[in-house]
Amino acid sequence: MRRAPIVIAGTVAGLIAVLEFHTTPPKVTLAGGSALQPAANSSTSATSPPASGKSPPRKGARHRATASSTAKPAGTPAATRTATGPRVNYNYGVLSVKVTASGRKISKISIAYLDDSADPRSQMIDEQAIPILEQQALQAQSANIQGVSGASFTSEGFEQSLQSALRSLDI
Amino acid sequence: MGTVITIDVYPLPGADDAWTADLRRRLDRAGLVLRCADDVFSTWRPASPVSRLRRGEISISDVPPEVTAVMSACQAARRVSGGWFDPWAMPGGFDPTGYVKGWAAQQALAAFDGLAMHGVLVNAAGDIASTGRQPSGSPFRIGIADPGEPRRLAAVAELTGCIATSGTYERGSHLVDPHSGLPAARVASASVTGPDLGLADALATAIAVAGTEGLDLVEPLAGYEALVISWDGRRHSTSQFPFAQISDAAVGRLCQEFCSPATT
Repeated sequence: MRRAPIVIAGTVAGLIAVLEFHTTPPKVTLAGGSALQPAANSSTSATSPPASGKSPPRKGARHRATASSTAKPAGTPAATRTATGPRVNYNYGVLSVKVTASGRKISKISIAYLDDSADPRSQMIDEQAIPILEQQALQAQSANIQGVSGASFTSEGFEQSLQSALRSLDI
Repeated sequence: MGTVITIDVYPLPGADDAWTADLRRRLDRAGLVLRCADDVFSTWRPASPVSRLRRGEISISDVPPEVTAVMSACQAARRVSGGWFDPWAMPGGFDPTGYVKGWAAQQALAAFDGLAMHGVLVNAAGDIASTGRQPSGSPFRIGIADPGEPRRLAAVAELTGCIATSGTYERGSHLVDPHSGLPAARVASASVTGPDLGLADALATAIAVAGTEGLDLVEPLAGYEALVISWDGRRHSTSQFPFAQISDAAVGRLCQEFCSPATT
């Protein structure tokens, strides 16, 4: 049975947002500093003022928070857990999905294994959330687009591997 | 419905805590709308009203009001598409999936009505509903994936409103020719822009099945434009499809190959 939709949301440019990925309603919190800062620096409170409220957004830069940051509730450090789903067939080959969670909150979805031609790549492909991986790659190539319509990387195989990883984490 | 839906909000400078609290409430509402739509319409959920309707366990008089609303909209979409979009001709019974994904994203977008911002994009696995513009004042620019090589773009469109794309390279392709009942896709990909994402979604589905003759269905529709990429890689479009202008210096090399020159 398929799961409910996963909603990823954030603010773009002007504010630096840190995302928490959930299968329940999405959350947005504000953090000071760069969206590219590692998770350890991103302890936040909901009332912290936007750090870059006065600076104009960088042209072409989308500060939609990436999956590499996690907001941890103050005083309640949650253990980071990971699970890797099985290797499955997808549109172009074989992949497996890795999920990183802080407590029961998904903080990162990434590809643990990808083989889309003759050369298997077993290292982590990217820090970005995989469902928007292709979109981000296209945007990096093609400057100044805010979305992609068409090819969805959420293939059947991806979803199977992802859901298996989520089950292992009891999420 | 897409497994992952992204919502990008473009705030005004100096947005404060009160704004963020408001945003959070609206995001909750948008997430709820999307999950509820999945609960009601998903043909993958055996207990959803649509699944039960398909199995004949309940009748039309038993379904929630959203289902009857979607049914009405699908009847209109069937008429407008000349029967090329027909949820009643799907295997297993009434299947509005080709309309609901767009419809649900548009419903989620409504959660942001009245929020002070430059604009917002709701992207449901490539079906995109939007209001507003980029902070620069330019329209949102949306890349259209090349169906032959989805890591490349075939075109870039300026978005005012919504865009939906249908094609067999997507997962869970449900492209069935309503006239024959058989799986069919006469073109590799079809994209439709317009104010209503549910209708755009239905039309994109219809054109992916019908092929280039489907463009004739969209040409007379005020506010809607369509682009088709055929199996040989060629593009065909309605006369005012909103191709992004090539004069923008930020357009990458990939786009330059495919974008139309600026017209006045």
